[in-house]
Amino acid sequence: MNNVVRQFRNFFVSLQLTVVLLILSLLLVFVATLDQVNLGIWAVQEKFFRSFFVLWRVPGTEVQLPVFPGGYFIGTLLLINLLAAHIYRFAFTWRKFGIQLAHSGLIMLLVGELLTGLMQQDSSMRLEEGQTKSYAESFRTFELALIDHTDPAFDEVVAIPEAALADEHSLQYPKLPFQVNVKAYYGNATMQMGDPAARPGTPVATQGLGARVQVMPLPLTYKPDEINQPAAFVEIVTPEGPLGIWAASPMIGMPQTFNYQGHQWELSLRLRRHYQPFSLSLLKVTHEVYPGTEIPKNFASRVRLKDEAGHEDREVVIYMNNPLRYGGLTFYQFQMNAAGKMSAFQVVRNPGWLLPYIACIMMGIGLLIQFGQSLTGFIRKRSAATPSN
Amino acid sequence: MSLRPFPCTLLLASLLILGCKDRQITAYRAAKDPAPAAMPAAAGNQGLPPDHPPIGGGMPSSPGADMASTAVPTAGGSDLVWSAPATWTPKTGSAMRKGSFSVKHDGAEADLSITAFPGDTGGLHPNLNRWRGQVGLPTASPAELDAALQHVDGQGLHFEIIDLVGTGAKPTRLLGAIAYYNGNSWFFKLTGPDSLVAGEKPAFLAFLQTVKAP
Repeated sequence: MNNVVRQFRNFFVSLQLTVVLLILSLLLVFVATLDQVNLGIWAVQEKFFRSFFVLWRVPGTEVQLPVFPGGYFIGTLLLINLLAAHIYRFAFTWRKFGIQLAHSGLIMLLVGELLTGLMQQDSSMRLEEGQTKSYAESFRTFELALIDHTDPAFDEVVAIPEAALADEHSLQYPKLPFQVNVKAYYGNATMQMGDPAARPGTPVATQGLGARVQVMPLPLTYKPDEINQPAAFVEIVTPEGPLGIWAASPMIGMPQTFNYQGHQWELSLRLRRHYQPFSLSLLKVTHEVYPGTEIPKNFASRVRLKDEAGHEDREVVIYMNNPLRYGGLTFYQFQMNAAGKMSAFQVVRNPGWLLPYIACIMMGIGLLIQFGQSLTGFIRKRSAATPSN
Repeated sequence: MSLRPFPCTLLLASLLILGCKDRQITAYRAAKDPAPAAMPAAAGNQGLPPDHPPIGGGMPSSPGADMASTAVPTAGGSDLVWSAPATWTPKTGSAMRKGSFSVKHDGAEADLSITAFPGDTGGLHPNLNRWRGQVGLPTASPAELDAALQHVDGQGLHFEIIDLVGTGAKPTRLLGAIAYYNGNSWFFKLTGPDSLVAGEKPAFLAFLQTVKAP
């Protein structure tokens, strides 16, 4: 066998690697639990578990250094380690079926978590009674939407994700007749009335509401009950020259528009939208409390589900612990304002949602078989050792 | 265990590629966003003749439409005017108030007051904290206050809007807007039970869009 291949094999099948990875997992969970005091649950998950490395920012700089393996790194190595050991070391025998089934369950659990972390999409859909929507909005990530309103029947939308804005580059896209020049991006910022020119350090907006307000960058927040409100300064540059600089922020509660080549465009920094080929209309919200108290008894939303192709058109009631599963998405009853006739659903896309259930069943059965075999073996040995009268 | 450099490097590289964030620009065709407040009225008044008054307890769920189609009381301040929804009842203004309305629904009542004072009346943040105090909330830092503000342009005016909910089993809610005009600070404040004020928010926002210089 080639020396390099042997190196690989020996490294990945090693039981020592398993032990080292388990110790690293213990340390990771311990440190993350302590850091939860500072960061909150959401940020801890992102920083420690849903990352390949735990990054540490060098004080006073923007430089981030990897200081510890993250959850994905340890999990992936554990997975490879388990798989490699199975392939290399374990031969299938009925005697070891239980332990192998339990290990396979563990592999599936790791794969499930990896799939969930990489592919799960959490968003929310807020509807007022009578309102119809075919999109859900992200909880925390934003997008710069450039919307062509010219056609009276529909909007043409080009959505630039926050991560692309953060690069502060010039962006071009075939469907945009102009270039979007991101002059500045702030992950969290606030606004206040005042002359923008009086605030050095940020670009000066020349168009829209930004020409009358100051944008003040803020440190990123990691608290679970707060979200970062990003802001960006974008310049629209056409082949004929620049149209101006706009300040974009979700705090701007009105559309900012401009015209170019007879088309009316809107520019808005909004929560990232995920459009679906079907729509939900909120027909009725029900909020019941126990008589004489304010204790909630039941939250329910009657919605109408309608798909674009016309195959589906039915009414569904979504209530606590009874979500709607449709089109690979699950809609959970999330929030409700009965007075405002508003209901919000948590919308989850998780292609791997079944895997943890299957994995746990496999591990349970595997362990049952394994201990069952040990127990029957022990009983048999004991009854053989007992002298019969 | 020996951590060989070659396999480790290869593994790290592949994991880093996997970890790249999604920064793909997307384009799609989408249905136009309906005006959120217009929907309930359309549903509630379905089947009624065009000139029939709105039904459903008088909640102005589509304030813009209501104001366009029904007679609206118009009040004038010293130098700003506005059109209030038909379902708001004008009250006798005190010497302090430029405008005063009673907003009723389901037996509950909220008060809308319009006041104006010269200058900046101590600045935005102290005024917002004064409002927080009125609903039983503690003083907040300027950064927290700024984060809670919504900025909206009206007819030649810029409004800074805040939505404050008090504490307790039946909290008071305060929906306030501040605009600066002709060297004066204008305060538009809707105060009342949480559920009533929450339901009136679309009407309040539409009302602000009617405020203008005469």
